[in-house]
Amino acid sequence: MENESLKLSGLNLNVNAPMFVPNINAAAFVPSFLRTEPTVCEAQTLNQKPTMDTTESSPTTDSPIPTSDASPNNPPVDSWEEEADKEHAEDLKVNKVLGHDINGDGGEGTVHDNDEEKDIEDPEGESDGDGAADVEAAPKIKKKVVKGPAESKSKKEHINVVFIGHVDAGKSTIGGQIMFLTGMVDKRTLEKYEKEAREKNRESWYLSWALDTNLEEREKGKTVEVGHASFETERKHFTILDAPGHKSFVPNMISGASQADLAVLVISARKGEFETGFEKGGQTREHAMLAKTAGVKHLVVLINKMDDPTVNWDEERYNECKEKLLPYLKKLGFNPQKDLTFMPCSGLTGAGLKEPVDPKACPWYSGQPFIPLLDDMPPLVRFVDRPFIMPIVDKYKDMGTVVLGKVEAGEAKKGQTLLVLPNKTPVVVDQLWSDEDEVTVVGPGENVKIKLKGVEEEDISSGFVLCDPNNSCKTGRIFDAQVVILEHKSIICAGYSAVCHIHTVAEEVSVKALICLVDKKTNEKSKIRPRFVKQDQIAIMRLEAAGVICMEPFKDFPQMGRFTLRDEGRTIAIGKVLKVIE
Amino acid sequence: MEENSADRNVEIWKIKKLIKSLELARGNGTSMISLIIPPKDQIARISKMLADEFGTASNIKSRVNRLSVLGAITSVQQRLKLYAKVPPNGLVIYCGTIVTEEGKEKKVNIDFEPFKPINTSLYLCDNKFHTEALTALLADDNKFGFIIMDGNGALFGTLQGNTREVLHKFTVELPKKHGRGGQSALRFARLRMEKRHNYVRKVAEVATQMFISNDKVTAAGLILAGSADFKTELSQSDMFDPRLQVKIIKMVDISYGGENGFNQAIELAAESLANVKFIQEKKLIGRYFDEISQDTGKYCFGVDDTLKALELGAVEILICWENLDIMRYMLKIPGTEATKVLHLTPEQQKDNTHFTDKESGTEMELIESQPLLEWLANNYKSFGATLEIITDKSQEGSQFVRGFGGIGGILRYKVDMQSLQGDGPLDDQVYDLDDY
Repeated sequence: MENESLKLSGLNLNVNAPMFVPNINAAAFVPSFLRTEPTVCEAQTLNQKPTMDTTESSPTTDSPIPTSDASPNNPPVDSWEEEADKEHAEDLKVNKVLGHDINGDGGEGTVHDNDEEKDIEDPEGESDGDGAADVEAAPKIKKKVVKGPAESKSKKEHINVVFIGHVDAGKSTIGGQIMFLTGMVDKRTLEKYEKEAREKNRESWYLSWALDTNLEEREKGKTVEVGHASFETERKHFTILDAPGHKSFVPNMISGASQADLAVLVISARKGEFETGFEKGGQTREHAMLAKTAGVKHLVVLINKMDDPTVNWDEERYNECKEKLLPYLKKLGFNPQKDLTFMPCSGLTGAGLKEPVDPKACPWYSGQPFIPLLDDMPPLVRFVDRPFIMPIVDKYKDMGTVVLGKVEAGEAKKGQTLLVLPNKTPVVVDQLWSDEDEVTVVGPGENVKIKLKGVEEEDISSGFVLCDPNNSCKTGRIFDAQVVILEHKSIICAGYSAVCHIHTVAEEVSVKALICLVDKKTNEKSKIRPRFVKQDQIAIMRLEAAGVICMEPFKDFPQMGRFTLRDEGRTIAIGKVLKVIE
Repeated sequence: MEENSADRNVEIWKIKKLIKSLELARGNGTSMISLIIPPKDQIARISKMLADEFGTASNIKSRVNRLSVLGAITSVQQRLKLYAKVPPNGLVIYCGTIVTEEGKEKKVNIDFEPFKPINTSLYLCDNKFHTEALTALLADDNKFGFIIMDGNGALFGTLQGNTREVLHKFTVELPKKHGRGGQSALRFARLRMEKRHNYVRKVAEVATQMFISNDKVTAAGLILAGSADFKTELSQSDMFDPRLQVKIIKMVDISYGGENGFNQAIELAAESLANVKFIQEKKLIGRYFDEISQDTGKYCFGVDDTLKALELGAVEILICWENLDIMRYMLKIPGTEATKVLHLTPEQQKDNTHFTDKESGTEMELIESQPLLEWLANNYKSFGATLEIITDKSQEGSQFVRGFGGIGGILRYKVDMQSLQGDGPLDDQVYDLDDY
């Protein structure tokens, strides 16, 4: 009895303890840390990067075209390419390299990080509910580099990479391999996957399981939904978007590509596989085109499966694939000098991804391997000082409403009020994550999760846009757009309907009226209204969507103003929004 | 054979129109008689029944009602006398006094032989005409059910003849893969499976509601369409009614759900549904569009061009939208014997200047006015063309109606049309080109 009561009293004491350790303590610590300890953090982050050491030493001798900037004034290849030019003009206006600007108000981020460290040091802190949560998160954060706007050096540039290509080209496997090589998946998990995969007689699939997390995806070995993951290099932070290659899931791929800055086109060099992927119905072509339309400026072409017995690092095969792809990619508007990089690799063995390919196997390629190449990419321009805007890709409920997406412009801070469009619901930012790590401010280019206050999960759907309440995005159902018909067997006239993909929305639209034709060469607009448009023609038309969608004219904000029209499983046309009517 | 089916379509269209006008008609009291005599019945028997009915009706207390019923029965009897025996497809008679829009009374007396055997016996006195039997006659006996299912929602629809109908649709929010979740990843995965399972269950349940009534499957065949594995999951699930399971004739892969998916599913299942009119219609307009896209010159559109081509005898197939609202006016120019034919849209009809003679400024005398389509339906044969009447339910149909005005034709040979090139100059008020 006595013992029990003693225990009870002990318990009571413990219960009291948390009350004793309020957050106020932590808050009080904040300013002092901010002033005193930034250097510590810096040191830590630098130390925490042993995995990437090798990249430094990797040879950068004969890199193919790594210096290419995505935003040069490349001459328009076809008339559609004018968009690129306009974009650059636009970019220049808002041109600011990411790092500097954010560092300006990096204070809060630092506060947060140090806060957590403090919690660990302080044993009392643990008994507190809040503190415990922080402890849980803290080791993780310490392990990776906090890319909260902490200090100047650890604020890495954020790049979203989408893996595209025909089904079974090895996109997920390469993604998994990269995660393994950069230490984002530990050996043990991978061994577990390997064992499970072997049980299913699908040994070669185990790498892709790091990204294919669903049961169905693992059963069939096919990615269905876009997989997310992240990894870091010396200078940059990457978000991997693993797009599905199967024809039926192209809509999913489009929403993935719309978040990407850089696309990696994975090609299988295996005999027959390359050919099927590149044929008319294959997804190699379609994906490359969709990526271009989605605003991807640089394309890395990975010729995968070079270790396959039918290929065996054969230079001829590599060149064959390259020769066949080049003309098509050029036609899409990729400049082979600046926007394209070709390289051989093997996703399964990891050759050519982080380490250069063994010269014995492949003496003919001496360029940079994949990851160092990405690391060396010139920085992208971001819309830093524009109002915050983020199309919502996905949402879920986890103690609140959490939305996912890529920040297109501006930044958002914890506690900030934002607006969800087209519903015009005001919301408050409750918590922020950049990839996996909790932060207090997110900037453009980052792939983020935001927990929102003031809105139910049911009231949000993917395709909505989160933006600054003072500078909200345009919304409407009817809009005028310039459209290029890529492939359509018959004619398109008023009354035609298709599915329109614009940023992350997929909405049914129908043609309300054709306004005029645009000459491909001279860019002149016809004075008479056409009855119909055919394949390979450019027209300005008025479109009406089934529901209200958020968009911006292309000239104001390219990423919110470019779209793709699809019907019956094919991409019919691409276009840009000229004017939002109502 | 093809000729016959086209004629039949025109016939069907005429009946449709008739039904529409009959449905609108309202009479005073129960004085509107609908009489349907199936084939192989005897006129004499019906006459006797009418005579009995006449006797009963003379006991009606209200004088107005009695008189109108008696009047109606008498006129039916008169009509019946015109037939020596029941025609091979049966006989339909509608008779009664309807009240027109202006409030005037008008006597209606219609008798015709339907285009295919009608197996209903009906005699009804009501304040409206009963056309249900006729509508049923129009309906193709083959009704196909569609279940469109994808990650965002499900749609249930039917395709019957040339009508495509959405019965029901709902959306779901299925959790996507986040690839995240940390420790609760397993929990997320479990929730996800559960939600998906519930979704399949819901679809299966709604499918039973939609396609089974009175313990009978209402569809001749079922087509399952979906973008992911849902459709196979559904078809194999034991939650899916076994009565529906056996009706599945095809499973198709589509890339989108919703209406667009429905259209695509119809397209993909076209082989299995080859003899459904909807598919034939799509093919026909598809052929017309092919002529345009290949620029063969063997096509025409718009009222004026089409009529010109008709007069030339160049039209092989005349395509018309069933709800074409253009009216044909035949006018007499005052003071002369000359007549003038005008085709006007409802908007133009309001404009009186069309009806005045430009030279004299006097109003022209109206000789005849009727919907253009009706005129075409009566006269197409004399131009050597076949008439196809289409709906705007299909993607192609909607384009034809909205982009080409709902009238056009496939020609036998190339005809040089002046106005083929465009739609005239831009309306600058509506679209300002400088904006772009």
